Amino acid sequence: MAFDRAISRQLHEEHVATLALWGRVEHSLAAGALDAALMREAAAMLAGEIERHFEFEETQLFPRLAAAGEGDIAELLVEEHATIREAGARFMALARAEPPPPELRALAFELAERLVSHVQKEEMALLPALDDLLDEQADRELQLAYAS
Amino acid sequence: MFANVARSRLLPMSLPFRYFGAAVAFQAAAWALLLADARALGTFAAGLGPLFAALHLVTLGVLAMAAIGASLQLLPVATRQPVRAQWAAKLAWWLLVPGTALFAAGAAAYAVRAMAAGAVAAALALGIYGVLLFANLRGARGMRVVVAHGWAALACLAALAASGLALVARYEHGLELDHLALRNAHLVLAAYGFMGLLALGLSNFLLPMLAVAPPPAARRASAVLALAVAGIALALAGWLRAGALAGLAAAVGHVVLIENSLRARLRAPLGPSFLLVRASWACLVASLALGALMAFDLAPAGAPVLFGLLLVPGWLLTFLLGVMQRIVPFLASVHALSGGRPLASSLTPPRLLAAHAALHVGALALLLSGFHVAGAAAGLAAALAYAAFFVYVLLKARHHGIRPRHQPAAA
Repeated sequence: MAFDRAISRQLHEEHVATLALWGRVEHSLAAGALDAALMREAAAMLAGEIERHFEFEETQLFPRLAAAGEGDIAELLVEEHATIREAGARFMALARAEPPPPELRALAFELAERLVSHVQKEEMALLPALDDLLDEQADRELQLAYAS
Repeated sequence: MFANVARSRLLPMSLPFRYFGAAVAFQAAAWALLLADARALGTFAAGLGPLFAALHLVTLGVLAMAAIGASLQLLPVATRQPVRAQWAAKLAWWLLVPGTALFAAGAAAYAVRAMAAGAVAAALALGIYGVLLFANLRGARGMRVVVAHGWAALACLAALAASGLALVARYEHGLELDHLALRNAHLVLAAYGFMGLLALGLSNFLLPMLAVAPPPAARRASAVLALAVAGIALALAGWLRAGALAGLAAAVGHVVLIENSLRARLRAPLGPSFLLVRASWACLVASLALGALMAFDLAPAGAPVLFGLLLVPGWLLTFLLGVMQRIVPFLASVHALSGGRPLASSLTPPRLLAAHAALHVGALALLLSGFHVAGAAAGLAAALAYAAFFVYVLLKARHHGIRPRHQPAAA
């Protein structure tokens, strides 16, 4: 999907990377494997995503969305962040274990589905709305804020 | 958080789901009626009676009903415009449900007055929906291809309602109209126009979204739309041969575009819902190929019935059911209470859906092979399996603590 604003494009690229990695996780799990290295890679990416991507959206983007009358969607996405954070914390703890415990499999499947579903909603609702809401100045400011 | 902000594009769950629920009931009724009169299907041409009633239970009661429910929720996402009058969307349901029931009962019982009253109520409902659709598309931003399909579908809807009322007026008042031309126009406008274009348009963003795939290139999708609209216009003008060929080219183009998009998907499994979607595409292309043969006077005997089967239960109903297998749990999961949002997969009974897909495809195969009684029986079994799926999702959603009404979450 093509977006007009640089910040939308950057978030979109991160979404694509998330989908690609968790797609590999799902594929690997579906094939019966529990690849410890892949699980650790997914845990590391998730940690970064929660710390940076989620935080940025919650502090910088969702309030703008709410102010523009899209509070329902912002609220939905915040709720999903909370659920992913909670499942993600358990996943990151289990992924550190060597060998990975069997319960990691179900948790990885759950996270893959939650992340995919969450990304789908952001791609459909958040990023197109940002294209409408932001002017060039606001777009630049958000880029700087995200980079800092 | 954001507690005082009205929910805009996210409708209350009860709004789309009332349409989905009615479609579930009408589908079972349609297959039951078809089963009751299945032996007459081989010689069905036109005219009132149980088969005509079953056909309209599917077109009005299932296809239009579910399409309205789904588009009320999905189009605002594509167009970035909220539904501006939820009361109007509710009123349309209150007109469409009894209108469809009355129309079908009147048609089955050869009671033209009852049928006319039902047709007026249904036309009013479609009119209200048309106004909502118009308001939404007028302010649309983004997804120009989907919006363009929406405008084309809306134009067909207006002409469809007019042709439907004219057909009923002919039955009730004996108006001297070219019945065959009007009936053909009504069929083209309903199946390929309103429903078909809405399905094609929503497919351009919905199917890639469900499969986590890039959407088709806008320019190519627009070219497919132009071909489809040209095909419909040619058919309406009486140039059936050119219309069928243009429609066939558009259908093939659409399938190729979406298949290319699906090939680039990031999630491997597509599930039984896409089996139904692909079966529906096969029926769409086959219906247009058979339509072309009929237009060139090359079709075998019994082609009109085969054409109708490919078009209505084959293309439109199968596509709708495939998509609804995914949309219903997805939307239900979106309406979960704070802190306990269930996964869409936890609201989905995979074995039941696989059984539904197998029964529905089996029903189509039997009907198309001429085993009408067995096909109708399998179709009824599939409809009951689908009803069980719908009830399962509602019960599971309730168990998970789905918001029963539209309420902002606690701050």
